[in-house]
Amino acid sequence: MPAPTAPASTDAPLRAALSLLERTPDVRYGEVHLVHETTERVHVRDGRPELVTGGTCAGASVRVLGERTWGFACTADLTEAGVVRAAREAIAVARASSRVARGTVVFPPAPPAIGSYETPLRVDPFDVPLGDKLAALMAPVQALLAAGKPVESAEASMEWTRLHKRMLSTEGSDTSQSFTYGACGMQVVAVDDAGHAQCRSYPVWVGGNGFQGGYERVAELDLLGHTARLAEEASALLRAPPCPAGVKDVILESSQVALQIHESCGHPTELDRAMGSEISLAGGSFLQPRMLGSFRYGAPMVNIVADSLTPTGLGTFGWDDEGTPAGRHPLVQEGMFVDYLSGRETAALLGRASTGTMRASGYDRTPLIRMVNVSLEPGTGTLEDLIADTEDGVYFECDKSWSIDDLRLNFQFSCELAWEIKRGKRTRLLRDPLYTGITPRFWQGCDAIAGPSEWRLWGVNSCGKGDPMQMMHVAHGASPARFREVTVGTTGSGS
Amino acid sequence: MSGRSGEELLDLARGALRAAGEAEAEVVVRGIRRGFARFAMGDLGQHMELDEPQALVRVAGGPKRAQVAQAATNLLDEASLVRAIHQAARASRAVPETAGFTGFTRGDEPTGASPPRFSRSTAELGAEGRSDRVARVLDAIGRAGLVAAGVLETRVTSLAVATTGGRAVSHDGTLANFKVWALETPGAGGAAGYGGAVHRDVDALDLEAETERAIRICRLGHGPVSLDEGAYDVVMEPAAVGELVDWLAGIAFSAQGVEQGTSALRGRMGERVTGEAITMTESPLDDGPFGVAPPFDREGVWRRTVPLIERGVARGVLYDRPTAARMGSTSTGSALLPDGVENPSIGAAAISMDGGSAASVEELIAGVTRGLYVCRLHYVNGLLDPRRTVMTGLTRDGCFLIENGQLARPVGNLRFTDSFLEALTRADGMTRERRAIPTGLSDAGAHVVPAVRLRGFRWNGRSQEQGV
Repeated sequence: MPAPTAPASTDAPLRAALSLLERTPDVRYGEVHLVHETTERVHVRDGRPELVTGGTCAGASVRVLGERTWGFACTADLTEAGVVRAAREAIAVARASSRVARGTVVFPPAPPAIGSYETPLRVDPFDVPLGDKLAALMAPVQALLAAGKPVESAEASMEWTRLHKRMLSTEGSDTSQSFTYGACGMQVVAVDDAGHAQCRSYPVWVGGNGFQGGYERVAELDLLGHTARLAEEASALLRAPPCPAGVKDVILESSQVALQIHESCGHPTELDRAMGSEISLAGGSFLQPRMLGSFRYGAPMVNIVADSLTPTGLGTFGWDDEGTPAGRHPLVQEGMFVDYLSGRETAALLGRASTGTMRASGYDRTPLIRMVNVSLEPGTGTLEDLIADTEDGVYFECDKSWSIDDLRLNFQFSCELAWEIKRGKRTRLLRDPLYTGITPRFWQGCDAIAGPSEWRLWGVNSCGKGDPMQMMHVAHGASPARFREVTVGTTGSGS
Repeated sequence: MSGRSGEELLDLARGALRAAGEAEAEVVVRGIRRGFARFAMGDLGQHMELDEPQALVRVAGGPKRAQVAQAATNLLDEASLVRAIHQAARASRAVPETAGFTGFTRGDEPTGASPPRFSRSTAELGAEGRSDRVARVLDAIGRAGLVAAGVLETRVTSLAVATTGGRAVSHDGTLANFKVWALETPGAGGAAGYGGAVHRDVDALDLEAETERAIRICRLGHGPVSLDEGAYDVVMEPAAVGELVDWLAGIAFSAQGVEQGTSALRGRMGERVTGEAITMTESPLDDGPFGVAPPFDREGVWRRTVPLIERGVARGVLYDRPTAARMGSTSTGSALLPDGVENPSIGAAAISMDGGSAASVEELIAGVTRGLYVCRLHYVNGLLDPRRTVMTGLTRDGCFLIENGQLARPVGNLRFTDSFLEALTRADGMTRERRAIPTGLSDAGAHVVPAVRLRGFRWNGRSQEQGV
């Protein structure tokens, strides 16, 4: 597939739409967005190509703040007539809504954002021949299948996205951003004679670990080098005992801490959720504005930061979709809840400044508050130090299922594997492990976080939010961490 | 709301196939125009007109016409489709052969009569009309002293599939989807009530009744008490049952799961997997009021009625063409369009779960000495142990303790973790009335399910809504 080029000039259509917004008296603020996305997905299962697909998706959207509230419209017709028509539709929607709106949206002015951003990369994935990509996936799948019984199925996939975004606003903003996102990973399923199934994934859950960068990341992953371990672990899990139920000290490996951050810190610190505007899909948040600065979210060693500047992160950019520049904002500082992920409208409700997190998943969606790179700051030592320091615990690795309540309090995660820890050593492999807890109690029980050498940035390609649903690229950095007195058990038979 | 019809998209697809000149190719074209009035915090905040065209083309190249690659575009003109076909053809040269590939759907494969799927009133409702209807909902909930949230969506879908083998099918459908919440507080927890309905005709949605229901449940939910974990008999509303059925479809009823060894039905066809009261049938061609699914799938295969569980016995799973070819079966017309996240996959468009004899939910509740009445579930996940269909999730928008056959008091949200199929062996009551619950997948469809009473459902955690 040839490398996608920047979209053909659409300057005139965008400016014509912007001009219409600027000339319309009841438009208080407006944005015109151009989004051009090129994707390539390659998926190999059981030695055959399951999916080889490439595609483009391009369109423009217009968001306007009318007399009282917002209107949004979009189009795939990038002619001047098409984009101007979308602007007229957005104005009409804002008028229809303003007619029945109860309140008036307050949207504080901001200085214009002007400039460009581009993902740094060494090897452009769209320059790499498709045959090379298929071979890079076929080889590990064949190696996994070659392990023989009880391996039943193996798959590997990679996905590349080139996303160009242009934004013009009635405030004078004019930004151009070009992102290259990737993800790659594999999974093996083993099934015993009784029909019990176990799976193992690398580097994480299905779909792989997402990143911003180039094809060089595939070689760094070394899928082939991890196949023997993966097949062996999947087989060993079929013979392993279930994770015993009880209250234990728990050590989570880095990617599991990342998911824990995602569900129990990232989502509840979204200010739109906390204010109640996400009820129709995801729910609210236990973290309410009255708790800012006074609520102990976690132990004093817990520091969680929203950082849209982190290199290679899926949540890294130059500006969000409202023109707020990327930045670094502590959400939890020495265990205290100190800030939200916010946009200009929601932050103003609290008398604060936006933390720059408004993003839309495509031209056909309105910007929402989305996680950026929300990461746990590292502590000291290594994973092995944590294990050596644990008397009676369970080590969890690689998420398998996830669920959390509509206020983000009661969570339950199951993992692909766990190890029992006794007197500072891994003693036996455990299958079908789960752990469950209440968010602040869990984070208040955090008493050890491994150091910078163990810190990894994990990308989530498909964080769902909004109605209609929007899938977003976000990331979380974390080192392995220990949490005291956590309820553990098993999802499988033997519970 | 205007857009091209399915017939017009079909003409476009056939023209592109002719112009591209590939020997074995398939074009799927879909146009969706949606009006989406999303309200929250007692106000209409996000109101959108969405235009979502999509085309997927596949080419089977190589000497055996079995090297398959796909390309996508959202530009629905002939030149763009031809470019996409050529892009897929180029990619196919690098792709290994798919063993057993039998070609794209042929023109002589079965079709049927298109069930009614289009409503002019839905197609023509604009921003003004949606705003007016939402305003009445906001007023009603505001008068009750509660906070409103929800969505009124109107959707028009045009779909066409054409292949070089002569397949040519098209579809026009509409969907109106209403979801409403009445809340004590906008985002901080507290009592909440939910109402919702889906229909192809927006005028058939009883917004007032659903809003009143949300208000009533919210008022009943004030001041919940905590309940200990354990096994409780439970009466689940259709909204809760529908979510579990949707997950069951994903993990148990896909032939791909059977092939991989992760489906609970692998090796169990003809065996009892639930209680005798349970019958589930994939019924995508339903011509009654609940029917919203397109009559053919992304491969242009006419959908079929497929018995999945018949009086508790496993009877079938769902196939697309490639999986059916590998497993020696035939496609059930269950290939799904990708939704932007998932790969093309197999899925249910419309599972019909038979109802029972109970005249009302109250009759089911009357048969419970001590248990729970659950209005809705949240964040269900069925990946814990798919072979046993173990799922977890939480209650939301109304959970009540039943004592001596009556609602006693509201209960704070609880977490369940249990095998759904095993729980269905303990189902001993269902309502005659059933409701349509939209599926969670990309193809507009809806499962039709009753309220169900399950004995001894396992609850293993509770949300801590107070005093955090």
